[in-house]
Amino acid sequence: MNHDQTEIVIWFEVKHFCSLVSCRSLAVGHQYSSLGTQPILCGSIPGLVPKQLRFCRNYVEIMPSVAEGVKIGIQECQHQFRGRRWNCTTVSNSLAIFGPVLDKATRESAFVHAIASAGVAFAVTRACAEGSATICGCDTRHKGPPGEGWKWGGCSEDVEFGSMVSREFADARENRPDARSAMNRHNNEAGRVSVNDNMFLKCKCHGLSGSCEVKTCWWSQPDFRVIGDYMKDKYDSASEMVVEKHRESRGWVETLRPKYNYFKPPTERDLVYYENSPNFCDPNPHTGSFGTRDRACNLTSHGIDGCDLLCCGRGHNTRTEKRKEKCHCIFHWCCYVSCQECTRVYDVHTCK
Amino acid sequence: MAGAIIENMSTKKLVIVGVILLLFQAFAFMVGGLIAPSPTAAVHYLATKCVDNVKHRQDSKWFMPWGPNQCDKIRSFDEAMAKHIEANNIVFAVHIPMPYKEMSPWFQFMLVILQFDIAFKMYNQIEDGALVTIDVGLAYRDDTMSEWTEMAHSFEQRKLSCNFTTDKTFDNEGRHYECDLLPFMEVGSVAHKYYLVNIRLPVNERKKVNVGIGEIKDIRLVGIHQNGGFTKVWFAMKTFLTPSIVIIMVWYWRRISMMSRPPVLLEKMILALGISMTFINIPVEWFSIGFNWTWMLLFGDIRQGVFYSMLLSFWIIFCGEHLMDHTERNRISVYWKQVGPIVFGSFCLFIFDMCERGVQLTNPFYSIWASEVGTELAMAFIIVAGICACLYFLFLCFMVFQVFRNISGKRSSLPAMSKARRLHYEGLIFRFKFLMLVTLTCAAMTVIFFIISQVNEGHWHWGEHTVQVNSAFFTGIYGMWNLYVFAIMFLYAPSHKRYGDEQTRDTGASSGEDIQLTTTITHVDGPTEIYKMTGKEAQE
Repeated sequence: MNHDQTEIVIWFEVKHFCSLVSCRSLAVGHQYSSLGTQPILCGSIPGLVPKQLRFCRNYVEIMPSVAEGVKIGIQECQHQFRGRRWNCTTVSNSLAIFGPVLDKATRESAFVHAIASAGVAFAVTRACAEGSATICGCDTRHKGPPGEGWKWGGCSEDVEFGSMVSREFADARENRPDARSAMNRHNNEAGRVSVNDNMFLKCKCHGLSGSCEVKTCWWSQPDFRVIGDYMKDKYDSASEMVVEKHRESRGWVETLRPKYNYFKPPTERDLVYYENSPNFCDPNPHTGSFGTRDRACNLTSHGIDGCDLLCCGRGHNTRTEKRKEKCHCIFHWCCYVSCQECTRVYDVHTCK
Repeated sequence: MAGAIIENMSTKKLVIVGVILLLFQAFAFMVGGLIAPSPTAAVHYLATKCVDNVKHRQDSKWFMPWGPNQCDKIRSFDEAMAKHIEANNIVFAVHIPMPYKEMSPWFQFMLVILQFDIAFKMYNQIEDGALVTIDVGLAYRDDTMSEWTEMAHSFEQRKLSCNFTTDKTFDNEGRHYECDLLPFMEVGSVAHKYYLVNIRLPVNERKKVNVGIGEIKDIRLVGIHQNGGFTKVWFAMKTFLTPSIVIIMVWYWRRISMMSRPPVLLEKMILALGISMTFINIPVEWFSIGFNWTWMLLFGDIRQGVFYSMLLSFWIIFCGEHLMDHTERNRISVYWKQVGPIVFGSFCLFIFDMCERGVQLTNPFYSIWASEVGTELAMAFIIVAGICACLYFLFLCFMVFQVFRNISGKRSSLPAMSKARRLHYEGLIFRFKFLMLVTLTCAAMTVIFFIISQVNEGHWHWGEHTVQVNSAFFTGIYGMWNLYVFAIMFLYAPSHKRYGDEQTRDTGASSGEDIQLTTTITHVDGPTEIYKMTGKEAQE
């Protein structure tokens, strides 16, 4: 498992997807501050389809946010799956950062697509609020003389813009008539909808003497963890589908249909998949499973992170470890912690 | 025949007047709902974290979040940690408005709200009653190239009231607290195109400044201003309404002064109502487009307050003058019990407003809610005003009840009275019932629209049109009370019907035949249609 991904910027899926892996100019992290002066070369990003390339050129200034969005999506994925057999592992040395896991149309693929798509919508909305992207929000849909839209009636919500960017960019490569494209489109949309669903309204009264005679409300984004929790619920209740083939004028078209008629059909908020997941117990380069060998497990838990389930019944090793830890710390709100050092002894359990 | 116009008008004419007023009312709603945008706009700003390098400090002390000469940014505080940047060297910068936009005097006011994103950490939690001390500066400029000019600078304290809704465990580290919105800044005029806010959170461990405030992740500001389009519609409405009310007021007072007797209290009260309405109407806001008058917001509050207290006093006096209990009132001092709470209540609100918006004239970051004492004081003022309002409504309800009791008493004795007496009382009853009905309708409309505008999201989609409910509420209700005042001045003006034509009007003033609006008994020549109708109604 690899946590070091400050240099990786990815556009999720493996072969089909752009994996903007090595696009250094987009890399979030230390280069960020120089972004204003350094032009991003869209042509240098590997794996973009023409539509994405066009998009990238039109919206160069929000590309860092797109990349940032994918990053927070993956970080959230790793947080949500931290104790599970599949823990959203990424590999840094390959264009396909998730390995072959996402080749199959599994629940995991569904989740990764949705969370990354949500991440992009989230990060773009955020960038809009920061003013680092200048093309957000204010469109000319409002009444009044053209160009005066902002002065006449303010701006539309940035979140619509965030969703638009995510839709334009992420769905750009999902235009094939096959089942996988349909599934990805659906799950990408589910991710974006979840961002919109989790927006919450905040209001301020500012009428006569501060009364609610005049009240102004706006939509606020929650922190991304809330969206992650929501998506995780959707992962647990994802709908299994079957592929149907139709003959249409443009050739064979594959669509998805719920497998079980007695369950409620999936809404646009639900995740869909049509292939079963491997069990992720043993390493398998074919399925992309890394296996759970040497993963730390929780002895006391009876859940999926417990040693029984996580180690797939192979049993676990236990060793004691002395760790130097920071303790009795004094924190500032930012950037400063003064601590003492304490040594603690831990029992570490790892899967056989 | 004398008395008010309303008594002498035929049903047909009354209906025509009613329909015309209703048309204007519908027009007022439509202007707001269809032409105007929503009344206010909220813009969400996420503060950029700038680093205050020592070498930088000489150049300019203002930090721009984007554009040319932008500051050295950090993306997250982990980065600051790695680079050993101290909290005292971090400046949160927000440029108002967003890139490529500019502010405009049409926005009227600018109100900014502060919000902290604070992540939960097991060992770095928010302490109870934690205070945040912010060192905040506001600057403006009018073109993108010139230097920033300081507008205000202040050290402010805000009380963090945050709660963490999930369990405080290691598992939930990194989730954000839910924090209340904090008042940040209020500016009463938007005279400049660009504003820049720089916020610092200085730490001083010895003085316990900004210690125990958790791990701040981000600072968000929400800027609220009135939409330019709404301002324009509003100004247009005011500019149209002012002459209408002024004309009817002059007409009304001419009629009053033409009478031989001096005007009675109720007549003076109606004039005062007209004057306070004009006071609200006069579009002095036009000056805010050219001049930087920050006190306009406060002035607007005062104008509204004057009108509301005048309206409330009018209702009390109107009821009192229709009590029909043979007591001579006709002096404002008789009503001290009822008018007292209004005066006292509005005085409390005035003091409160002066403490909040008055102080903001000098320090836009001031908020009475920020300090413990201030909050208590503000609450005290508001509670006292609330008690006054309750008292007032008790008095008013009691008075209305008294009037109705007297009406039913009079009704039983009406047939036994002489014709003139009877008609006089029937006139009083009709006048009272009419005003009661209109007032209740207006009040109900106000309440209903207020509730609608509170619960609903602000606009309705109606086919291809978007109806701005909130704007419709403001223009509609504003128009409604204007029409109300207009109608009262028109319908309750003394009637000159018996002189028949214009030429004799001047002589009529000296004839001494005019009836007072209140309790004097007169002789009458033949009831009009409406008179008969209501008389019948009153007997039923």
